[in-house]
Amino acid sequence: MSGPYVEQNAHIVLPKTDHDELSRQHFVRSFKEHIVESLHPGLRLAYEKRARPKYLAKHQHEPNTIQEVADAMKPDQHYQAWSSLLRTSQEMMWSSTQIPVERAINDLAASSTDQMTLGSLNLNPELKIPDYHTAVDIHCQPGGYHTEYIEGDVAQGAIYDRAVYLYAMGQMGSNNADMGDSTVAWLKQTHPEFSPTRILDMGCAVGHSTLPYADGYPEAEVHAIDVAAPMLRYAHARASAMGSTVHFSQQNAEHTEFEEGSFDLVVSHILLHETSSAAIKNVIKECFRLLRPGGWMLHVETPPYEGMEPFDKFLFDWDSENNNEPFWRKSHQLDLEGLARDSGFSRETLQIMVPSAFQETQRTNTFQGGDFGGGGVWFVYGCQK
Amino acid sequence: MVRLWVPKVRESSADEQLELQRKAKGKRPFYFSNPDVDKLLSMIMALTGELAIARDRIDTLERVAAAKKLFSSEDIENFELDANALEARAGRHKRLLREVNRIIIGELEDLEEADEEDYSAVVEQVEYDDR
Repeated sequence: MSGPYVEQNAHIVLPKTDHDELSRQHFVRSFKEHIVESLHPGLRLAYEKRARPKYLAKHQHEPNTIQEVADAMKPDQHYQAWSSLLRTSQEMMWSSTQIPVERAINDLAASSTDQMTLGSLNLNPELKIPDYHTAVDIHCQPGGYHTEYIEGDVAQGAIYDRAVYLYAMGQMGSNNADMGDSTVAWLKQTHPEFSPTRILDMGCAVGHSTLPYADGYPEAEVHAIDVAAPMLRYAHARASAMGSTVHFSQQNAEHTEFEEGSFDLVVSHILLHETSSAAIKNVIKECFRLLRPGGWMLHVETPPYEGMEPFDKFLFDWDSENNNEPFWRKSHQLDLEGLARDSGFSRETLQIMVPSAFQETQRTNTFQGGDFGGGGVWFVYGCQK
Repeated sequence: MVRLWVPKVRESSADEQLELQRKAKGKRPFYFSNPDVDKLLSMIMALTGELAIARDRIDTLERVAAAKKLFSSEDIENFELDANALEARAGRHKRLLREVNRIIIGELEDLEEADEEDYSAVVEQVEYDDR
């Protein structure tokens, strides 16, 4: 990666690491960069020189679908090695972030509680964690977002905070805030008159993307919801420690307890692809219900497959089967216009690529499996009510 | 008569403390025609990581030492480790081994949940097949 080495902002609730734990995490980042820089380019080479010609000879036609490219690529030795190492890097990422949290789990819970000074936190132990969340541990975080080991646990949030930094190889900025920052930058530039007074961030996890809205619209009351209590506790402590006032509550974005028409802006960031066919419809309907007329719904995602050539689709689809992202494939091939229509929205939908707010020039400018933070652009899907 | 001597084992604090779930729920895909290759690769990368950490630590030590004019490489060669240091190192080695063998441990965790009864049946079979 070019550009200066960006280390994560060491806010007060970020788990402390000793020398070797930090080194282990830095190694994982290096390992991921190595895969992107040195191994990923070989995939196209292997496809063009080996896999595609073999497929053509056997089937007398080009591989046209994700499945056909998969049939061509899966026997290829470079694809096998790349996949194997990418999966391993993901497992090492979680492991390296779990180690310091496991060691200090009680202290982390206590120090997080001490930090919860600004905003508010409302947990609902009765909330059912949805099946699409518990069926597998999403993006391979052992225990998912929701597992709690002790009273007042923040472990899964603390692990996630650090892992996102490693996953993005620092390319989402020192606060992992790039999705929120990019969207706020786009909103301010294209809709300077828009001045929301109430903002909701759905599926906020530890609030990486929430805080940019609180900072960007300091007059607004910012709410953030998630289904997972350990994420929310940590998010609340983190926001407070970073001087942001956010109201966190444990709710499912499909059906919230907020009043109809009570928000000017409802956003989510890489939430939709973690849901399901039924849930995504409920989420968009809920956005429509929650917005006042003239309010905006904005969902930040990775780009849809439409328009990609089959080989790129196949690579971008890697997470579906290999990183516990069961809804990834379907969610990237939805009729987003129809989804908005069926949920009550009548204006034209927004489906744009928004450039990254974070050091655009440093980026690799291609989305690829394992290089989530290196895309240089985010896909924004939305609609104004 | 052969008697069994049972040494007293002091449990390390690492074993006493709460352990997080280390294997993500969901089937782990393998990529090579022989999944053992994937496992070996995973172990090699874990080892590479641990080697990098060790080299980083040495690098830190040398830089700190040089900056503070503390010690030379000869001092390192002649240093004698006491029991505490040796115990700490042994503990580190065990943690290192757990990390390197994480993939195998993860498989065992899956196996434990799925096939425990089958394995007990095998034990029973080999223990009582003379009857």
